Amino acid sequence: MDDTPVSSPAPLLELDRVSRLYGHGDAAVAALKEVSLQIMPGDFMSIMGPSGSGKSTMLGLLGCLDVPSSGVIRVGGVDVTELDDDDRSRVRGDRIGFVFQQFHLIPHLDAVSNVETALLYRGIRPKDRRARSLAALDQVGLAHRHDHRPVQLSGGEQQRVALARALVTEPSIVLGDEPTGALDSKNAEHVMEIFASLQAPERAIVLVTHDPAVGEAAHRRVRMRDGSIVADERAVPT
Amino acid sequence: MSAARDLVGVAVNGLLARKVRTALLLLGPVIGVAAIVAAVGLTDSAKGDLKRKVDELGTNLIEATAASSFGGQDAKLPKDAVERARTVTTVESVSAVLELQNIVVTPYEEAAENFETVPVPVLAADTLLPGVLDVPMVSGRWLNEFDDGVSSRAAVIGIGLARQFDVLPGEVRSLLLNGIEYSVIGIVDGVELEPAFDTAVFITFQRAADDFLPDEAVDGDVVLANKLYVRSVENREDETAEALKVAVNLGGPNEVQTELKSEALELAAQSDRQLQLIVVSMGLLAIIVGGIGIANVMSISVIQRSTEIGIRRALGHTRGTIAAQFILEAIAVGFFGGLLGVAVGVGAIAIGVTVAGWVFTLQPMLVPLGVVLAMVISVVAGLYPATRAARLEPLETLRLG
Repeated sequence: MDDTPVSSPAPLLELDRVSRLYGHGDAAVAALKEVSLQIMPGDFMSIMGPSGSGKSTMLGLLGCLDVPSSGVIRVGGVDVTELDDDDRSRVRGDRIGFVFQQFHLIPHLDAVSNVETALLYRGIRPKDRRARSLAALDQVGLAHRHDHRPVQLSGGEQQRVALARALVTEPSIVLGDEPTGALDSKNAEHVMEIFASLQAPERAIVLVTHDPAVGEAAHRRVRMRDGSIVADERAVPT
Repeated sequence: MSAARDLVGVAVNGLLARKVRTALLLLGPVIGVAAIVAAVGLTDSAKGDLKRKVDELGTNLIEATAASSFGGQDAKLPKDAVERARTVTTVESVSAVLELQNIVVTPYEEAAENFETVPVPVLAADTLLPGVLDVPMVSGRWLNEFDDGVSSRAAVIGIGLARQFDVLPGEVRSLLLNGIEYSVIGIVDGVELEPAFDTAVFITFQRAADDFLPDEAVDGDVVLANKLYVRSVENREDETAEALKVAVNLGGPNEVQTELKSEALELAAQSDRQLQLIVVSMGLLAIIVGGIGIANVMSISVIQRSTEIGIRRALGHTRGTIAAQFILEAIAVGFFGGLLGVAVGVGAIAIGVTVAGWVFTLQPMLVPLGVVLAMVISVVAGLYPATRAARLEPLETLRLG
């Protein structure tokens, strides 16, 4: 199973025989069954599978939004299943950047304030926070629209603001949940280009999707079915 | 520190982003605090002129009167009553008077028939009386020690009597006491705490003894007084009054009764407590209902903002910061609602005072009290929605996959 060389770097995130059950006793349904997965620095990974395959459950666990029923999840070597909610929140804020299908920007805040939200409560001075957020917006090509509110932005622009928000904390893992699902093909392409450009040796990008076009853009393709990983291939992106 | 500053920013943004909702939240504390401030202020202002008078006149004037233990009419104080009163350490100043009986006062002979039926009090007084009563002369001067010795007869009259007898300021006038002619040497202003002095005639003890008093009213060469006016040290009135009874009497045959002259006025100046209580209760009710409104609106807001809460949680904000964000919004609503309520209440008092012609009176403590009350109610009301917000699971609100 484990074909990585001994000298390879430590995984950024690791699932070790992780199961997630919903419900109790006989009525319990296993959404994830003893899944093991290592996300390595530099990975550009897609996780694909039909509805009900456990993708969403997987996403919640990878994003430290959920805890497994059994097994261990390590983020940067730290067992997050042992952490309390506050510490897990901090790990999430420090290590993981989310990009959602529905963008999930805060509607009453302008673009730069939305990006800044990811930097709150970290002891960063407001001036520095704003500068970093503007830089992140610049990275996705939206610095000039920093004072626009989400309703004043197109879907593609909103998703790019969300991308800037995910990047501004310099996370080791960028986690995308169907990031192009709500976009037209042109905007989807643009967003995928940005994802591709985010590849870096110290960072991993993980996209959970059922869109083959998105899945095949990745170098490492994980396929799921019925709560298990059925394939984990490395490929040259098409 | 910086986390607190971040929180304030988030809370303020949250409130400013939904102005109608924030206005609705503010309504409860504003109405409640305004009602309380206006209720207390207006009931106080209704008696404002009396309150001010009490402050002006002072509450420290004591009257010590001789009273016979056996119900006799003509009780007198001991001859050294003034000196004895001064031995009380909380006494500031003392003046003695003697109320003379059965003297008919008329402006001139021919008018006697018209004035005989109007009783005019005549008092023998010492030189200190205006100082103790704190009353100015309208014209002329008060009695002094030379008026005792000379053969001319001098009298000072109250302003009310001067008007009655049509005495002009500075006019050389005389009046008749039981037919004996006295020169009016001064007119003394009205004494709020002793309204009878308005129409009184004051003469010296020596004159009173020579013209009107029987021999037994004089002990040696001292004319006995029957009443003392005493100013005590501020706020020591009650113990001074008690001490005077003992110090002046010193076991003598006659009792000494004391009375605080401002007591009745103070009583009259007291606000209508029942009315105040009723309106304040209504204000409290309004603010509590307002608090329930806050809990309601904020609970709905938590549901409406569940996605925002999920986003913040996904971005790493802890449950604590989410709860603190909502509590802080409640604190801000309470603070500004309270301030606004005080302002509205003060405005209501100002309008009421202008319309009714009262004197604007506001206890300063009401301002911080109103704001704090609004804040406490708001925070209590915000606790439940804040707890609910903190308990929201991001996975449930964000609908992943």
